[in-house]
Amino acid sequence: MSNRLTEMTVNKLPTLTWNFLKINDIKVKEDIELNGRGQITIRNIPDGVIIGNAGCEDCGGCAVSKIMETTNSITNGMGPEAKEFFDSVCDKSLVIRAKKNAKIDEPLCISYNMANGDANAVKQVIIAEEGSNITVVMDYNSKSSDSGFFGVQTILHACRGATINLVKIELLGKGYVHFDDIGGSCDNEGIINTVQMILGGKKSYVGLNVDLAGYKSRYSGNTGYLCINDQFLDMNYYIGHRGKKSEGELTVKGALRDEAVKTFRGTIDLKHGAKGAKGDELEETLLLSEKVKNNTLPVILCDEDDVEGAHGATIGRLSKDMLFYMESRGFSEHEAEVLMTKGKLNSIRNLITDQSSIGKIQHYMEEAFRDE
Amino acid sequence: MERERTEVNDIDRSIYDFRYSDEDFYKVDEGLTKDIVLQISKEKNDPEWMRDFRLKSLDIYNKLKVPDWGPDISGLNMDDIVTYVRPNTKMTTSWEEVPEDIKNTFERLGIPQAERTSLAGVGAQYDSELVYHNVKDEVSELGVVYTDMESALTGEYEEMVKEHFMKLVPPTDHKFAALHGAVWSGGSFVYVPKGVKVDIPLQSYFRLNAAGAGQFEHTLIIVSEGADLHFIEGCSAPKYNVANLHAGCVELYIGKNAKLRYSTIENWSKNMYNLNTKRAVCEEGGTIEWVSGSFGSHVSYLYPSSVLKGDDSHAEFTGITFAGNGQNLDTGAKMIHVGKRTSSFINTKSISKAGGISTYRSSITVLPNAEDSKASVSCTSLMLDDISRSDTIPAMDIRTDKVDIGHEAKIGRISDDAVFYLMSRGISEEDAKAMIVSGFADPVSKELPLEYAVEMNNLIQLEMKGAIG
Repeated sequence: MSNRLTEMTVNKLPTLTWNFLKINDIKVKEDIELNGRGQITIRNIPDGVIIGNAGCEDCGGCAVSKIMETTNSITNGMGPEAKEFFDSVCDKSLVIRAKKNAKIDEPLCISYNMANGDANAVKQVIIAEEGSNITVVMDYNSKSSDSGFFGVQTILHACRGATINLVKIELLGKGYVHFDDIGGSCDNEGIINTVQMILGGKKSYVGLNVDLAGYKSRYSGNTGYLCINDQFLDMNYYIGHRGKKSEGELTVKGALRDEAVKTFRGTIDLKHGAKGAKGDELEETLLLSEKVKNNTLPVILCDEDDVEGAHGATIGRLSKDMLFYMESRGFSEHEAEVLMTKGKLNSIRNLITDQSSIGKIQHYMEEAFRDE
Repeated sequence: MERERTEVNDIDRSIYDFRYSDEDFYKVDEGLTKDIVLQISKEKNDPEWMRDFRLKSLDIYNKLKVPDWGPDISGLNMDDIVTYVRPNTKMTTSWEEVPEDIKNTFERLGIPQAERTSLAGVGAQYDSELVYHNVKDEVSELGVVYTDMESALTGEYEEMVKEHFMKLVPPTDHKFAALHGAVWSGGSFVYVPKGVKVDIPLQSYFRLNAAGAGQFEHTLIIVSEGADLHFIEGCSAPKYNVANLHAGCVELYIGKNAKLRYSTIENWSKNMYNLNTKRAVCEEGGTIEWVSGSFGSHVSYLYPSSVLKGDDSHAEFTGITFAGNGQNLDTGAKMIHVGKRTSSFINTKSISKAGGISTYRSSITVLPNAEDSKASVSCTSLMLDDISRSDTIPAMDIRTDKVDIGHEAKIGRISDDAVFYLMSRGISEEDAKAMIVSGFADPVSKELPLEYAVEMNNLIQLEMKGAIG
C-alpha cells in the first residue's frame, strides 16, 4: 500500500467548459507522507446503531463485508483519482449502520482530533437500512496554528424509506490540507441530508456526488464556508436524478476575505427517465476584500422534459442599501460586514441541532473575527 | 382514440433549401496546405503582410488542438473542405450586373426588397466572395464607409485594416480562429466617423451555395467616438449530404461613448459546422448590444464576447436558440469586465425539440480593476419533448470585491399550471401552448427589426393537432 499523497486531479466537472477559465477540474500538488496519526473519538452511540470495521482480518463473510460490496459501486464526489488514493492508503473503513426501521433521534458524534504534523486519511461508510433514520455529526479539528493533512471519504447509502442526516464541521488548523470526499445513493424514498461548515484548513477540497436512483428519493445539501487570509477552497457538487419524482436541493453560502480563493461547481443532472424530478441550487457569496478570487459554475444538465431545474447565484459585496441601513443603526462598515457574514453562516449553522457542535462553530467564528 | 401530442414543428427551411450549379466557379483543391493558402492569397492579390499573416496563421492552426469541451465535431474533416470558391462574377454595386442565378438566390431570400424598404446599405456574399455591395448616398455622404474587406484591404483603408485585423481575435485564440486567419475571404468593412449616427441599419448577407465548401468571411466594424450604428448579419445555405464549414470572424471596435447593435439571424443548413468567432471591445462609455437568433447548423459553437475595456462601458446580449432534429447548438456569450463601473446583461432563451441538443454556455469575468461593475445573467430553456436535451453551463470568474453579480437559470417544459390558467379563461389548450411558446421567445423577437421578428415568428411555427379526446 502507498502511504503518500502526491499530485492528482480532482473535482472534475461532468461536462467540460472553456479551458481558459481553469475551472474544469483542480490539480492537487502536494507531496505528503501519511503517518496515520490522529485520534478518533466516538460519543453517543445510540441504540439501533452498529459500528464496525470493514476490511479487518476477522470480518470475512460477515454482513459488513456484504454491505461494503454494495457501497463499492457508489461514485464519490472528488473523482476517480481521489477514490484510488483513498483505496490505496486506507485498509479499513469505519462502517456505521442504522438497523432496519430504527428511528434514532440522538446523533452519533465523531470527532477527529488532529495535531501538528499529523497526516492521515480515513474511509467511512454510513448505511441507513430500510425504514431507518440516523444522524451522524462529525468534526475535524486541530489547534489553529497546526499544519498537516487529513482526508476523509464518506460513502452514504439510504435504503428504501430511510434517512441519513450527515453533519460535517471542518475546524482544522491554518496549515492543514483537507479532503472531504462524499458519495451517496438513495433507494426508493430514501433521503440524504448534508450540512457542512467549512471553516478551517489552508487548502480544502470538497467533493460530493449523490445518486438519486430511487422513486421519490431526496437530497438536501446546505454548505456554509468562511475563507480568510490565504485559504483555498475548491468544491464540486453533483446531484444525479435518475429516480422519478426525485428532488434535489443545494444551498451554498459563504464569505471570502483577504486573499482567499474559492471555486464552486454545482451540477444538477436530470437524467432521461427521471419524470417529475426537481433540482434546485442556490449560491450566495459575500466578497469582503479586493484581492479575493471567486469562481462559480452552476450547471444544469437536462435530458428529460417533465422536470424542473433551476439555479441562482448572487456574488458581490454588501449591498449599498443594506450598508446604509446598518450604518444608520450605528454600525461601522466593517462591523456590518462581520454581522452579515455571521448571518450567512448562521443560516447554515442553525440547521445543526447538536449543541456541542454549535458551540465549536461559534467559538471558531469568534476567534476568526477576533483578529479584527 | 390515442390522443395526439401537441407539437411544435421544426423550423421550415424550404425557403433556404435551393441551390444552383457551381460548375464554372473557381475552386481551390480540397484540404488545407501551405500551397492552398498561398493560392488563395495570390487569387486575392493580398498585400505582402497579409500573405505572411495567412502563413503564420496556418502554422498556428497546425499546432492547436480541436476543443475538448464542446459538441462533437469529428464529422468535420478539413481534408474534404474546399476553402475558397469564387463565383464567376466580380463584385458590383449594380444589382442588374449580378449574374442571374445569384440574383435569383438573393431575390428569393428577400435581400433586395429589404434594401429598398428598410436598409441603409447591403452586402451580399456568395460562397467566398462578395458579389454585391451598395450603400445609400445619404449614408455615404455622412462619411460612413461600408465596403467589402478586399477593397478595404487594398485601398485607402489598408492601414486602418492592418491596425485592426485579427487584433481582437488573434489566430492564437483557438484552432478555428487560426483557420480563419489562414483562408479568410470576403466579409464587410464598416467605418462610422466620429459623432455620426446611422439611423437605419446596414446588412450583410452570407450565402454558401457550394457543397463541401467553407465560408470564412471577415467582418470588421469601427464605430468612432460618439457614433451609432445598427448592423444586421444574415446567413443561410442549402442542405447537402456532406459537411460544410463556416468559420467567420467578426471584430467590432466601439469608440468612446459610441454604440453598436449587432443583430444576427443564423439559418445555416443542417449539414453546417458553424464555428464562428465574434468579439467586440468597448472604449469608455461605449455600448455593444448583441441580438442573436440561432436556428440553423448541424453543430454550432457561437459565443459573442464583449471586452468592456473602458470605464462605464456596457454590453447586452439577447439571444434565442432553437435546436431541432440533428442539431447540436452550443451557444452563449462571454463578458469581460476590465474598466471601472462596467455593466453587462445576458438574457437568453433556448428551445429543444425532436432530439435537438441546446447548450447555453457563458462566462462572466471581472478583472481586479473593474471596481463597481455589475453583471446579470438570465437563461431559460424549454424542453418540448423527452428525446431532446438542454444544458446550461454558466461560469463566473470574479477577481474583485466591489461588484454585484447575479445569475439565474431555469429549465423545464411548458407549465401545466400556465396552460390550465389560460384554459380557465376560455382559451383552447392548443392556443394556450402556442401563446406560451410565443411568449417565451418574445423578449428576443421584440429586439429584432420588425421584418426579422416576423420572420422569426414564422420560423417557429406551431402545429396543434387533436388535443381533445
